[in-house]
Amino acid sequence: MADSQTLLELKHISKSFPGVKALDDVSFDVRSGEVHALLGENGAGKSTLIKIASGVYQPDGGEIVVGGKAVRFGSPRDAQVHGIATIYQELLLYPELSVAENIFMGHAPRTRLGAVNWPEMRRKAEELLASLNIHDLDVTTKVGRLTVGNRQRVEIAKALSMNARVLIMDEPTAAITEADVERLFEIIRLLKGREVGVVYISHRLHEVFDIGDRVTVLRDGRYIATKAVAETTEDELVNMMVGRTLDTMFPKLETQVGEVVLEVRGLSRGRMVRDVSFQLRAGEIVGMAGLVGSGRSEVAQTIFGLTPPQAGTILMRGREIKIKSPRQAMRYGIAYLPEDRGTQGLIRQMELRHNTSLTVLRDLSRAGFINRQKEMQLAQSTIEKLSIRAYSPLQIVGKLSGGNQQKVVVGKWLATRPRVLIVDEPTRGIDVGAKAEIHRLLSELAQQGLAILMISSELPEILGMSDRILVMREGRLVAEFSRAEATQENVGMAMMGNWTGNGNTLKVQADGAAWQA
Amino acid sequence: MATRETSLKKSSPALFQQVQGVLRTQEGVLLIITIISVLILATQTDKFLTVKNLLNQGRLMTEIGLIALPMTFIIITGGIDLSVGSIVGLSAIMLGYSWHNLGFPLEVAIAIALGIGALAGAINGLIITRFRVPPLIATLATLAFYRGLAEGIAQARSVTGYPAWFFDLGQRETLGIPNQLYFLVIGIVISAILLSRTTFGRSLYAIGNNELAARFSGIPVNRNKVLIYAFSGFMSGFAGYVLVSRVSTTRSDMGSGWELDAIAAVVLGGTSITGGTGSILGTTIGLVLIQLLKNGLALSGVTGDATIVVIGSVLILSTLINIVVQRRLRGV
Amino acid sequence: MASVTQTVSMRRPRSQVSSVLRTIFGSQESVLLVVLVLLIAYVGHSNSGFLATRNMVNVFAGYAYIAIAALGMTMVIVTGNIDISVGSLMVTLSMLSGALVTYKGYPSWLPLDAIIGISWLLPIVIGALIGAIIGFFVTYLRIPAIVVTLGFLSILKGVLIMVSQGERITGMPTGYALAQRRPLQGLDFPIFEDFFRMLTMPVFFMVFLMIVVALWMRYSPTGRAMYAVGGNAEAARLSGISEHRIVMTAFILNGVFVGIAAVLNATQFSVIQVTLPPIELQIITATVVGGVSILGGTGTVVGAVLAAILLNTITKALVFLDISPFWTRAIQGLMILVTVLADLIRRQRQAE
Repeated sequence: MADSQTLLELKHISKSFPGVKALDDVSFDVRSGEVHALLGENGAGKSTLIKIASGVYQPDGGEIVVGGKAVRFGSPRDAQVHGIATIYQELLLYPELSVAENIFMGHAPRTRLGAVNWPEMRRKAEELLASLNIHDLDVTTKVGRLTVGNRQRVEIAKALSMNARVLIMDEPTAAITEADVERLFEIIRLLKGREVGVVYISHRLHEVFDIGDRVTVLRDGRYIATKAVAETTEDELVNMMVGRTLDTMFPKLETQVGEVVLEVRGLSRGRMVRDVSFQLRAGEIVGMAGLVGSGRSEVAQTIFGLTPPQAGTILMRGREIKIKSPRQAMRYGIAYLPEDRGTQGLIRQMELRHNTSLTVLRDLSRAGFINRQKEMQLAQSTIEKLSIRAYSPLQIVGKLSGGNQQKVVVGKWLATRPRVLIVDEPTRGIDVGAKAEIHRLLSELAQQGLAILMISSELPEILGMSDRILVMREGRLVAEFSRAEATQENVGMAMMGNWTGNGNTLKVQADGAAWQA
Repeated sequence: MATRETSLKKSSPALFQQVQGVLRTQEGVLLIITIISVLILATQTDKFLTVKNLLNQGRLMTEIGLIALPMTFIIITGGIDLSVGSIVGLSAIMLGYSWHNLGFPLEVAIAIALGIGALAGAINGLIITRFRVPPLIATLATLAFYRGLAEGIAQARSVTGYPAWFFDLGQRETLGIPNQLYFLVIGIVISAILLSRTTFGRSLYAIGNNELAARFSGIPVNRNKVLIYAFSGFMSGFAGYVLVSRVSTTRSDMGSGWELDAIAAVVLGGTSITGGTGSILGTTIGLVLIQLLKNGLALSGVTGDATIVVIGSVLILSTLINIVVQRRLRGV
Repeated sequence: MASVTQTVSMRRPRSQVSSVLRTIFGSQESVLLVVLVLLIAYVGHSNSGFLATRNMVNVFAGYAYIAIAALGMTMVIVTGNIDISVGSLMVTLSMLSGALVTYKGYPSWLPLDAIIGISWLLPIVIGALIGAIIGFFVTYLRIPAIVVTLGFLSILKGVLIMVSQGERITGMPTGYALAQRRPLQGLDFPIFEDFFRMLTMPVFFMVFLMIVVALWMRYSPTGRAMYAVGGNAEAARLSGISEHRIVMTAFILNGVFVGIAAVLNATQFSVIQVTLPPIELQIITATVVGGVSILGGTGTVVGAVLAAILLNTITKALVFLDISPFWTRAIQGLMILVTVLADLIRRQRQAE
């Protein structure tokens, strides 16, 4: 490490958005041949920081130093010219164009006449992929037909084709399979050997220990610490990230677990939902863990009627019901708070009152006419009950902060007076304070007798909030843990597929109460 | 004097805010443009601002108006219906054909025309929702198809010789007001209420702003889409009936190009072509403005076709103003 | 193209039949070609008059101006935009061309050839200019293309009728009739001699421009950037592609092609008159049936040209099949619906 040079330095960076100080005096640097992990909870400022490093945002204060010289990035293009490439979560590719062309868009090899040199482009693309040990990718295939893992490899090749020295990866493992993660790590090790500096952002702590050299933690827009990975522990990192004990973060209340409200038996749809069976009882919060792509949201959406089941039965309070549309699901008292607030949960351009009423328009209307007074009252009571920070019910929802937006979504579903509430990543992308509030709310709702199924990718959340934990992998329910027996390790193992314990694999669950034993 | 001054002072901030509020909406901007145009046109010719002329203009704009109402719904959901002009032609032909050639009573023929219109619209809706064909393409194809059906059925023959009562709708007045204008006004009122006050109307805005979220909220997105395209077809059929009644004949080329007039009125009225916002009030003002410009300029001695130049320019300019205003509002 | 298929088949050897089928139904272009050949064969079989040389020339030349305009439309749609003013623009430029050549006020020293040259070229320049104005509104002022071109449709139509006063233009000099020229007349060919000799200018323009544009869109960085902008504008921006410049280019070239189409349209008969059939719809139809996705980012000009020829073939075929010409549009409409649906279903299949 002694002779490795510093490729990129961010010094004392500050950045504010209207109403929020996103970054406050944060410093960060990457050396050649290292993987520097960037950790922090959602809303800690990681994405703002990398957007500054990649030229999307301009900092309000502080400076960016590349190769010892202070630079200013006016646009992402400027950052690329300085050898900094970013691979975003939502991959920026052209689905209708070939792999080779995606890699070389904007800087394709030319012939002497200035025309795009296709054979050369394909050859170079193959070369580039081969240098990353990727030999199974046909460079003439349309990118739209590739798996997410392969698309990510194309993105990496694209970054390298522009001679990137620093590669920023924003949650690269969020949407890919385990096998793909392994290959990604191989590629990252390869890049390290070539003196590329990698900035690695992930929520999965064990990945940091697998692949990272140094780790920097941010919290609430502030720099907390930088450690060598070899000299730190998971616990230490979690403490730095959360900055408080888990008790206040996860205010789990004791509840009376009542009768079975919802039961699914042998629920199946496509490859993502395979023979899933479980029960939900009044008053309990059941956590559903699993990797992204393990079929958790698909289970929820099948129960909610968005993608009706192909096989299996759904029982509500012991009675078999058929659900073919969200409307039917809602009639049976099922509510689904979707994973993506912006595209599925809210209509951001509309006013708060029109969002909270969207699920209950029929109840608020007579003969199809909306009772505006009732609609207004609903919005006001939602604001009060969930302590949403909004000027008025007339405020455009898109202008609220992430946490408050999420409360609006919660409010809109509580308005339906559900008996079963399915929440999908309820605290994704919201700040720590709002997160604790949402947790408290869920706890209270459960105490009032609601049955809650909570899907989450954050293990601490699952462990901190659930009475019972279900684990999904590759479309199947693979394990079940009681609150007492669940640990970061055994749940994590079950998610990854190397769970070897016994007693709480699903076969045992056949008799209803085995989990409590 | 003194009291008057104080009251003026008191009310002026509120008044100022109100004016500002009006200026912030496309309807407001448009209303002001309309008023200014009327004033200018009125000074050019004294034939313009007369009750008789204005009522006659109302008669002439009814057919496009009837189509522009459902078009507003459709554009609010982010869709478009290019086939309306062809449905007008098809319905008109079906009216004449089923009366003249198939021997149905004229009342039944009218019902058939309206039914065919609704059916054609519903087919559009089904193609769009079932097969997920983009509305622009789906209705572009049916534009050709429905017009082709009209031409094929008509075989270039027109139908005339309708009984006198048939012209009541298109050519007569009640209480001095053209009969079809009543229908337009009723249509406007119903559509406006439907859009602004009902769950159905709200669902259209929701779909236009975020179709996925609307679906996730339990709104029957596909059903409502099929409904509005069917409504569009029905209203086009009705417009065809009004047209035949007004001009006393049916031809297969009736209504061609009307889709653009209807879309122009809707877009001029502030409905965003990308969906999510818009109002019937805006569409109505847009409709009136276009008709008044056409008529006023013609009366002022401007050649008939220079008026569409003005309309085209007004369309682009008002959209530009709208976009600028919206950007200001968003604080960009 | 050949090398692409080669690499694919080298990589994954599969049975010959399925790979042939795959090539045929793998792209909209080949589907159109197969349909076109089958249609001509079928109609020719039922009525051999259809295959008469004169008719076949008409089949290929009749919609050449639509095909040429569809080249520009392809670019516009590939970038994710649309232009519905092309019909008005084309008729306006046709009238302009006729007006220029019949204008009596030129200085007497100007030779007739120069006047003809002006009347051929100026409409193309004006077309480019109007394309630039539209492009400016769309890309710099960010007004949706459909609104801008709807406005221009009205404006151009109005200007046209105002200026022409609805009158027809006649009395053009014989040298002006570009579209009636037969460049291969008098040459010898081993086969189809009559056919080649009778081919008129628009066919050559169509084929030549199609090849040029197809190559340009495939090999020039600007051409590729059009696909990038239409496919993923955000990614294009991050790749350093200027969306403004690309969209402007598309609209300007669209204006140029409409100009060329207008001149061919104007010189095809001895009369030029203001008829406003919905040409824009035929052009957009050809483009879309040719496999250009209305959502942008994909499609080729070869498909658009084939689709234009196919649409014309259907029109001409009906006469020979003893179907009333009044059904032409219904059948065309149905064909559009079927091809669009087939294309969509094919795409969905491929995506799976």
